[in-house]
Amino acid sequence: MPQGKRTPLYDWHVAHGATMTGFAGWDMPVWYPTGAVAEHRTVITNAGLFDTSHMCAVSISGPDAFDLLQLCVTKDLNACVGATKRPLQPGDGVFGAYLNERGELIDDTILYMIAQGAYLSVVNAGHGREIAEHLKANRGGRDARVEEISHKVGKIDLQGPLSAKVLKKVLNDPLTVLSDIQYFGFKGYFEEQQQPSDVRLIDGTPIMLSRTGFTGEFGFEILVSRDRLLSVWENILPAGQDQGLIACGLAARDSLRAGGMLPLSHQDMGSWPFINNPWTFVLPFDDEGKSFTKKFVGDVVLAERERAEHTYAFVGYDPRKVSGKGLSVVIDSGGNEIGVVLTCVSDMAIGLSSGRIFSISSPDKPRDFKPGGLSCGFVRVRTALAIGQEVELRDSRRTIKVRIVDDVRPDRTARRPIHDMLRDKEELK
Amino acid sequence: MIDTSQLILPDDLRYGEDHEWARLEGDKVRVGISDYAQQQLGDITFVELPNVGDSFEKGQQFGAVESTKAVSDLFMPIGGEILEVNQAIRETPELVNQAPYGGGWMILVKPTRVDEFDELMTKDAYRDMVGRTE
Repeated sequence: MPQGKRTPLYDWHVAHGATMTGFAGWDMPVWYPTGAVAEHRTVITNAGLFDTSHMCAVSISGPDAFDLLQLCVTKDLNACVGATKRPLQPGDGVFGAYLNERGELIDDTILYMIAQGAYLSVVNAGHGREIAEHLKANRGGRDARVEEISHKVGKIDLQGPLSAKVLKKVLNDPLTVLSDIQYFGFKGYFEEQQQPSDVRLIDGTPIMLSRTGFTGEFGFEILVSRDRLLSVWENILPAGQDQGLIACGLAARDSLRAGGMLPLSHQDMGSWPFINNPWTFVLPFDDEGKSFTKKFVGDVVLAERERAEHTYAFVGYDPRKVSGKGLSVVIDSGGNEIGVVLTCVSDMAIGLSSGRIFSISSPDKPRDFKPGGLSCGFVRVRTALAIGQEVELRDSRRTIKVRIVDDVRPDRTARRPIHDMLRDKEELK
Repeated sequence: MIDTSQLILPDDLRYGEDHEWARLEGDKVRVGISDYAQQQLGDITFVELPNVGDSFEKGQQFGAVESTKAVSDLFMPIGGEILEVNQAIRETPELVNQAPYGGGWMILVKPTRVDEFDELMTKDAYRDMVGRTE
């Protein structure tokens, strides 16, 4: 295997016994000696720290930056935040996608509004340049500057229900920072020449703290200047010892996100029409769900609804998996091959009891509950399926029976109010 | 890349090319997977085992071991009849990671030909083989 690119934490990962793997051109930790199952479960019960510095960041700024993004990002940026669908404002992040002219995915993104006329789009590893080029190609006469800044940014994800308690120990003035941070909200900035940061670690390091993540659990993505990445990592990890914080690799990230119903770009969504999938909430549907509230690159996808294939989540009956990435087929009850498996992993924090899925964090789980694990993931099929319907997944080795579902791991914490996640509520007053 | 000198490889076992181990216990042979195999697989989440009474030849697949990373076939290091399977690893597959030569054993075999045991690798020969593949 050719040597991949290395994040500033590469030496740390190797020194701490990580098993490394190639991912999107990077050498990344897949798990540490703790093991992927323990890492997965720790994020659900405690907290885990992930190196996600292989991801890319694109800065979009200028008087017409908003117009350019409104043209290229699927979400209607005038109506996308919270239940009231208010416009994007400084301090807001939003999950959206970039589509091409055919309505097929180029990449997904979390788009942050840093200030008036200043935005940051975090996209997947290896896709920064492509997104920057896509934005420039659609810029026309707009006054907007587009710059890939991946090389300047490091990113660490702190995920799990005890994440806020870990942050309390490392942040300067933590209660001011944490007390009102909403799901998909962010504070601070990582690079002060452009934007003074109101979030710092105790040692003074400016950070951008975003209440987002890719696990389905409560937590944060922390953006820092790339040259401060190692120091921030080594600051947070020991601080979280009392909370059981451990370093986690890409295997746990993959199984957590699949159980959390989150798509992996270029695997669960890709070069096919972005419609008829569990993530169409990123499209700017009107209240009736029939048309879009704006014009944007890729809006032709609306016309594909009748003929496009369907993507569904599934869950199995035990942890046995089949191959993903299109290497397994989906078979309906009539024995017809109807599609392919996009992702198939095992969520080792869940299990079935009396026909219902429980998680190790379910408050009402049976007393003797043991999380034996369930396979889960996403399939893409030619015919519409009903929630609850059974299909078979088959690869060269085995056939497994699974159920089409609209949710996998129960009792996830991602959206829990921040107040619930800090034990001593009076500290927030 | 692993340091093969760090592998735990008990003296009294013999090793097969597919990373199974075999231990002679009287006229029976107990079988599992090596420390190297469990390290390579990562966390084991499920083990598929044969039925008691099944017979296999040396080199035939008798089951599969599944980890967070992959599914790997299990091959008989010695031909024979399955006398016992380890029920504990059905419930607690992590035993294979924690104690590959102890509580994580897989099958107990009545060998067809005991001399097949002597044809398996010693720990030094096995360590050399792993070193060449690493």
